[in-house]
Amino acid sequence: MFKKILFATSATAASDHAARVAFNIARSYQSALNIFHVLGVPSRGYSQVVVDVKTKERVDVDEDYLAWVNEDIKTYYAKYLDERLHYTIDVAVGLPAREILRQAKKLTPDLIVIGGSTGDEDETVYKKSSAGTTLQKVAKASHCPVLVVNRPAASFWGGLSNIVFGTDFSKTSEKAFDFAMKVAKALDCEMHVFHALDISPLHGGRMLSQDEIEQQIREATRKIRALYGARLKELSHYSMDVWEGIPYVEIVKYARDKHADLLIMAHHSRKLPSQDIRMGGNVEQVIVRAGCPVISINK
Amino acid sequence: MKKKILVIDDDLNVRDYLVSLFKDNGYDVSIAGDVKEGLTVAKKNIPDLITLDIEMPGEWGPRFYRQLAQDPELKNIPVIVISGLSGHQYAVVKAVASLSKPFDREELLKIVNDTLN
Repeated sequence: MFKKILFATSATAASDHAARVAFNIARSYQSALNIFHVLGVPSRGYSQVVVDVKTKERVDVDEDYLAWVNEDIKTYYAKYLDERLHYTIDVAVGLPAREILRQAKKLTPDLIVIGGSTGDEDETVYKKSSAGTTLQKVAKASHCPVLVVNRPAASFWGGLSNIVFGTDFSKTSEKAFDFAMKVAKALDCEMHVFHALDISPLHGGRMLSQDEIEQQIREATRKIRALYGARLKELSHYSMDVWEGIPYVEIVKYARDKHADLLIMAHHSRKLPSQDIRMGGNVEQVIVRAGCPVISINK
Repeated sequence: MKKKILVIDDDLNVRDYLVSLFKDNGYDVSIAGDVKEGLTVAKKNIPDLITLDIEMPGEWGPRFYRQLAQDPELKNIPVIVISGLSGHQYAVVKAVASLSKPFDREELLKIVNDTLN
C-alpha cells in the first residue's frame, strides 16, 4: 500500500509524534522511508550561511556540516532505525515547504508524513516561523496524500484499521474517497463515512429551525448513501453518518467516538495562506485537533 | 469482597511491581502482557479497574481501549494509563488518570483507592 514514504522532519520534539507514526507505518508495511530534513534557510539569497532550524545559530553549510546533520538525525532516531527498516536520510537547505515538495517530486512517494507544532513554550525557529505554514503549504500543493500528525494523541494507535472518511460531497472528496477505499481494502480496515452539516449562522447567514436542520440531515444522508453506499459494500465493516454542528468540531468528535486511527479528508483550497492566518478551513482545523493521524488529499 | 485489578503491561518488572503493590494493599490482581491477552483476561474475570501500558508488542494500548469501549460488559471499567511515552496523557481520552513511568506509588494508590472506593 505505502511503498515509498517521505517523512519530513525537523528532527526536534515537534516531529516526535509524526516520527512514531511514520516509522510504525514504514515497519508495518515494509515501506521505503526517506527521512528528509530541511536544515535551514540561507541568510541571504544563495548564501551558504544558514540559520539552523534546530540550534537557531548561523552556520556555514558545507559537506562536513551536511554529514554531521545526517549523523545527528541518525542519532535522534536511533531507537527506530534497525536493519529491518529500509530508510534513507536526505538533508536540504532552503524554505521547508518548497524543499519538501521538491523532494516529493523527485521521489514520487505514496505518502508524505509531516508533524506539526507541539504548541509548547519551547519555540524553535522551525516551529515559530514555519511549521504551521509548512504543513499548510505542503498539504495544499502536494500531488500525493499527506499524513499529518499534529497532536501527541494522534500517535499512539500503532497501526491503521479503522478509518473515518469526512466528505463535503465535492469533486476532491470523490478522489479522497477512492483513496480511502484503496487503503481500507488493502489493509482490511473498517470505514465510517461522515458528513458534518454546517449549521452555524456564520455559514448560512441565519439560524436554521430544527425542522430545517433535520430536513438537511435527511437530504445529506440520502446523498451519502447514493454516492458511497454501493462501493462501501465491498468492505466488511462500514457505516454512514451525518451530524450537524460546526464541521471541524463534529468531525473530530465523530472520529473520537468511532475510535478512528485514521481520518481521511479532501483538501480543496489552492490558495496559499495569508501571513496572518495560520490555520484556516475545516481540514486545517481537523488536522490541528484530531486525536488520530489525518490524511489530506489534494488532487 | 476484594476489588479486582487487571494489569496490562509487556514489561515483566513493571507487572511484578504493580502486582505486589496492589496485593499488599488488599486488591486481587490479574495480569496480561499484551492487548489480546488483556481482552481475554478481562472478559473471563471482569475487573473493577485496569492499568494499561501504551506501547506493547502487536497492538497498542488505545486499541485495547477501543475494544473495551465497544464491549457492553467491559465498557464502564475505569482505565489508568501507565506509560513511559511522552504525551501519553493524550492517548486514551477517557482514562481516569495517566501516569508516567517511573510513577509515584503513593499517587497511583491514591488514584486507585479514589476510583474504586
